[in-house]
Amino acid sequence: MFNNQQIMDLPKHSDISFKPLADKALLHTQLNWLAFYIPLIGVLIAVCYFNETFANNAQTYLLIGVPILVVISMLYNMLGIKLQGVAVRSHDIVFKKGIIWQQVTILPLARVQHIEIHRGPIERKLDLASLKLFSAGGVSADLQISGLTHDDCKNIRQFVQSYRQENTCPELEFADE
Amino acid sequence: MNSATTDEQTRTLHWQKVSSWALLYFVVHFSVRFIKDGLLNLLPMLVVFVTQVENKLFWAQVAGAIALVSLLVYSFLYFLNFRFCISDENEILLKKGVFKKERITLSFARVQNVNVAEPFYFIPVNLVNCIVDAAGSVSQEVVLPGLTKDYAQQIRKQIFAFKAQQQETKLDEQSETDITENSLRISNKEIAKFGLMSNMAILAIAALAPFINMLIDFLEKEIVSKVEGFYQQELGIMANAATFAMITLIAMLVLMAVMLSVTMSLIRFYNFELYFKGQKFKRIAGLLERHQLSMSMDKVQSIVIKQNLMGRILKRFTVECLQASSGGAIAGVAAKKNKQTLVLPVLSAEKVDSVCQWIYPWFNSKKLAFKRAERALLYKNLAFYALFPSALVFGFCFITETNSLISLGVLAVFSGLVILSYQRYGYYLHEDNGRFYMVVRKGMIGVHYRVFELYKAQSARGISTYLMRKSGLKSLYIQLASGFAFMPYIKQQDADFIIDFTIKQIESDTRSWM
Repeated sequence: MFNNQQIMDLPKHSDISFKPLADKALLHTQLNWLAFYIPLIGVLIAVCYFNETFANNAQTYLLIGVPILVVISMLYNMLGIKLQGVAVRSHDIVFKKGIIWQQVTILPLARVQHIEIHRGPIERKLDLASLKLFSAGGVSADLQISGLTHDDCKNIRQFVQSYRQENTCPELEFADE
Repeated sequence: MNSATTDEQTRTLHWQKVSSWALLYFVVHFSVRFIKDGLLNLLPMLVVFVTQVENKLFWAQVAGAIALVSLLVYSFLYFLNFRFCISDENEILLKKGVFKKERITLSFARVQNVNVAEPFYFIPVNLVNCIVDAAGSVSQEVVLPGLTKDYAQQIRKQIFAFKAQQQETKLDEQSETDITENSLRISNKEIAKFGLMSNMAILAIAALAPFINMLIDFLEKEIVSKVEGFYQQELGIMANAATFAMITLIAMLVLMAVMLSVTMSLIRFYNFELYFKGQKFKRIAGLLERHQLSMSMDKVQSIVIKQNLMGRILKRFTVECLQASSGGAIAGVAAKKNKQTLVLPVLSAEKVDSVCQWIYPWFNSKKLAFKRAERALLYKNLAFYALFPSALVFGFCFITETNSLISLGVLAVFSGLVILSYQRYGYYLHEDNGRFYMVVRKGMIGVHYRVFELYKAQSARGISTYLMRKSGLKSLYIQLASGFAFMPYIKQQDADFIIDFTIKQIESDTRSWM
């Protein structure tokens, strides 16, 4: 039977102080959302322009609803970015995220199978990057951290690589996109 | 390129051809692949053929002949190009392909299993297929067909000797006297029960999905009308003949599905034999192909013990020893398909305990004192999955002016299922000789246990909502290399402790998890 005795030196993840994402992470998220909203608004304007009946029925609701939706998602993004944080410890990487469902994920470096760094056009402009860390068995990346500076991503990748070499873990796969 | 050629020149590689009988394997292999993968792609052509072509029989014969000749020619060319080599540097090298030539190099170090399969068409000539599985970040399989049994065993021994040499320190810890052989045989009568428990017939029905409309039309024309006529003429039933005919048809279809399931189980697990010696499983089973699967305990990531509704009625469980399935759910399915999962079907509770004790000597299902989820989970699930749907049904009944008592029925059924599901959730931690294990239970009508050693976990996650944090609760998610363990709504301090402890186990244990 398992004996749950107090272990004094057990490092507690609840005590970790997380590093916030890069300053431009919020701008990146907002721009990403705008890239979704602008075509949507464009389509709605076009429908209203060509379909008078739809315009008469929906115009007022759209004029009130869409700006509210945009403002709510911007506030949601602000809160979301504020609640995200990453911590690199000597043996693992910890990432917290979530507004309604808050998650703290700990990925030991010894279990990292594959690392990817993604940079979209907006990210390249803002000198940001997204980091994906994969272990075995997961459906997708175990950790997917957007809004880190490109330098931070490269440093984390280098750190994981050095850790794996020092600890003679099996070869790691890297990808830069 | 140059360095590769030079490297090859310096090495003496003895490329070998496989036996001429292996041609049979290639014909069967490509036929199965054509049926499984090719037919679906040819479906649009089939539709055109059925609807547009007039002289169907003639053109079907022409198409069949072309397909047969192409298959035979392709298999023959594939056989001619197929070469393998066991290099001095402990690698298996393979050259194959007709249009696209492939060269595969598989290091012994990456091999997970070496299986020896004896298909029915090789039995008269006493040959076998040697299947070498390698699982890492990319799932891979090398099949050497038509080898003699002795040579396949020699390859197997050579690979395992190399791997044992690599893990010499580990083997040293285990003295020879500790190695005792355990065995288990399952009668074919029991295997037939697995057919009843499993849903193999559904797979067959799913394969028929594209033709379902044609099938229904055919059944209506050919079967239902005849059965209806039989009832009318022979038994003198006039009024309900059509209903009786339909019931007869449904009963026949169910019976056929059950028979199909039983047959498929027998094909897969016929004369099931399982041996466990020196931390290694060896399973031999199969009707058309005697498949031998070896699996080292080190490779097992978690053990799943399952019992569905039929299993509960028959009082039988299925045990699965899962290996790493890197690359997500799709690779997980591939792992099962590639027979990397050791399935032990139709075991009684006592047999489950005895088999699990081979691996985990502490395991006793009756003594697992599970800690259950907190009551808040029950209240939340009742609100979301019972009250809310029944309120929707009530609203629907109110609008359509139907009997609103239906919503009460929905409430009762859904509440029952929610309560069952809540009662199933549980976790149990165990320490045995300095090793730490976790058992997570879930289910609803059936039950599902996952047993794993904590250090084999890949990552750990705590999930909580605002209300959960207010109530001091947290859900726990542990990612494994074969699936995951999820335990919702436990005390926050317990969840935090398990996460911290699991991470400590992963980071401090120097044993290889793969």
